[in-house]
Amino acid sequence: MIRSPVRRDVVIALVLFLLMLAVPLLTGTRYVLTQLTVFFIWAVVASQWNLVLGVAGIFSLAQMALFAVGAYATAMLAYYIGLMLPAAMLLAALVTVGVSLVIGFACLRLKGPYVALLTLAIGQVMYLLVVNDTACFTTPASGCLPLFGGARGFSRFGDLGFRDLLGSKWYVGHYYTGLVLLLAAQLFCIAIIHGPLGLAFRGLRDNPGLALARGVSRMRYQLWVFGLSAFFTGLAGAFHAAHFGVVGPTAFAFAMLLFILAMIVVGGLGTTWGPLIGAALLMWADEGLREVSDWREIGIGLVLAGCVILFPKGLAGIRLRFSQGRGQRPDAPPAPPPHTKPV
Amino acid sequence: MDVATQILISGLTLGAVYAVSTIGLALIFGALNMLNMAQGGLLALGGYIAMWAMQAMGWPAPLAALAAMAAGSLAGGLIFVAAARPMLGGEGFETRIFIATIGIGLMLESVILKLFGPQPQAQSLKLEGGIMLGQVNLPWQNALIFGTALLMLVLVAGMLNRSRLGRAIRATSMNRDAAQLMGVPIRRIYLTILMLSGALAALSGIMISSMSGLLPNMGADPMLKAFIICVVAGLGNVPGAALTAFAIGMLEAVIQYIFGVQYAFAILLCLVIAVLIWRPQGVFGQKEVVRL
Repeated sequence: MIRSPVRRDVVIALVLFLLMLAVPLLTGTRYVLTQLTVFFIWAVVASQWNLVLGVAGIFSLAQMALFAVGAYATAMLAYYIGLMLPAAMLLAALVTVGVSLVIGFACLRLKGPYVALLTLAIGQVMYLLVVNDTACFTTPASGCLPLFGGARGFSRFGDLGFRDLLGSKWYVGHYYTGLVLLLAAQLFCIAIIHGPLGLAFRGLRDNPGLALARGVSRMRYQLWVFGLSAFFTGLAGAFHAAHFGVVGPTAFAFAMLLFILAMIVVGGLGTTWGPLIGAALLMWADEGLREVSDWREIGIGLVLAGCVILFPKGLAGIRLRFSQGRGQRPDAPPAPPPHTKPV
Repeated sequence: MDVATQILISGLTLGAVYAVSTIGLALIFGALNMLNMAQGGLLALGGYIAMWAMQAMGWPAPLAALAAMAAGSLAGGLIFVAAARPMLGGEGFETRIFIATIGIGLMLESVILKLFGPQPQAQSLKLEGGIMLGQVNLPWQNALIFGTALLMLVLVAGMLNRSRLGRAIRATSMNRDAAQLMGVPIRRIYLTILMLSGALAALSGIMISSMSGLLPNMGADPMLKAFIICVVAGLGNVPGAALTAFAIGMLEAVIQYIFGVQYAFAILLCLVIAVLIWRPQGVFGQKEVVRL
C-alpha cells in the first residue's frame, strides 16, 4: 500500500504544506508573502474548477460567478448584519453551495457546450444585475449604496482580526489562513479524485454502458461534485474579500475567468497536481510580464491556445508521457468516440 | 402606431445583424461540434478592417466591405489550420477547441487593441440620412443592414440547398463518417465552413460597429447573443438559428422600449435560461438519442 496513489498524493500535499509553512520564517518580505497569499486563493479556485471541468466533465463556466457569490455574500453578511468575518465567510461558503445547486439543477440536464454557454450567461446576468442596479438600498456617509453594491461594490466590512493580533505583520496571518485553505481544498480534491465519486466518473468514461447499467447516474454524481466543490470556491471568494477588504463587480470579469482557465489547462485538465502547477507558473509569468503589460493578454491567449493544441494533457501530462517508455505513443490517436448523433 | 413601427424597424435591424453572425456559428457547430469563441475577435476584425480600408487606403465602401470579409475568412481559415485540424478526432475535442478559440479570440482582440488603440472610433462605412415613413424616420443605414443581411441569408440558403458544396456540408453535419466514406473531403469542407463563417462574422462586425461604434472588445456581447440564439434554436440548426435571430432581435427591441436599454440583455438571458430548462435541446432541436 506504500505505493498507493492516495497515500503518495497526501504525502506530497503534507510535505509541500510543511515547506510553505516555513516560508514566512525564512523571508519577511511582505511582497513575497502577499503574492503567495493571492496564489493560494487562485490555486484553490483552479483546483476546484478542475474537479468540475476535468474530473466530473461538467463544462461549467459558472465557477467565477460562484467565487463572486462567496465574496459578495461575505461582504453583505458582514456589512448589513454585522457578522464577524470568519462566521460570515463560512456562511457565505454555504450560500455558494446553495446557489451552485440551483445552477446545477438548471444546467446539468443539458449537454456539454449548452452547459458552457448557459453558465457563462448566468455569470453575465449576475454581473449586469449588480452593475445596472442604481436604486439606493442604504445611504451610508459615503453616499448611496445599492443592495448589491452597484458598480462600486463594498468596502469597510471588517477584517479577520490579524491587525489587532499581529500588528504590522498582519499579512503573515493571511498567508497562513490561505495556506490552510489550500491544504484543505487540495486534500478534498485528492479525496474526490481517488474516492467513490472519482471512480464513478472514471467508470462512466471508460465504459459508459457498464457504468450506467450498474446504476451509476452521471447527473446525480455531477451534482454532488458541483455542489461540494462550490464550498471551497465560495470560501476562496470569501477569503479574497477578507484579504483585500473590497468586493466589486470585477470579480465577474471575463479576463479573470480566462486566467484561471489557463492555469488549469496549462497544468493539466483532470490531473491532481496540474492546477496547482499551472497556477504557480501563470502567476509567476504574469509577474514577469508586468514590465511589458501590453503583451500580457497576447501572452495569455498564446499560452492558452498553444497548450491545448500541443499538450492536451497539460504540463502534468508531459511527465506521464515520458514515463510510459518508448515505442508506445500514448498520444497516438485513440479510438474515435462513440457517435452520438441521432440516427 | 408610430411606436410600433419604430420598434419593428429596430427589432428587424437587430435581428438581421444577429442572423448574419449566428448562421456562421450554427454552421460550424453543426459540422464540427465546435464552439468558435474567437467569433468576438472576428467581429471586431471585420469592423476595424472596413474602417481602415476606407480611411487609410481611401477605398470605396463596397471594396472595404469585401476586404473585411476577405480578412475575416482568412482568419477563420487560420483558426482551422492552426487550432482545429491538429485536434480533430482527438480526445476531448469539444473542450479543447473551446479553450483554444478563447485564446485565439483574446490574441485577436489584443492585436487590434495594439494596432488601433483603446479609444472608441466611428465606423466610416455608414450611410447618412433616412426616409420618413409617416411620422417615423427610417435611417438608410438600417435599410442597408436589413437588405444586406437578407441577401446574405438567401445566398447561404441557396448555397446550402442547391450546390454541390452545400450538399457536402449538409452531409458532413448529418454524419461525418458516412460522408467521408462517400468521398466527401471533410477537411476541405471544414476549412470552407470556417472561412465562410469568418466572412459572415466580419460582415456582421461592420453592421454592429456602424450602429454602436468600434472598440477592440466590441464583439464580446454580440458573440454571447449569437451563441444564445444558437442555443435557443438548438445548436447546429442553421434555418432555426436565422429565425430565432429575428425573434430575439424583435424581443430585445420590445424589452428595450418597455424596461429600458440597461435591462435588455439581463432579461433576455433570464428568458433564455427558462427556455432551456423547458426544452434542453433548443426550440428547433431534436431530442438526441445517445447510443453507446
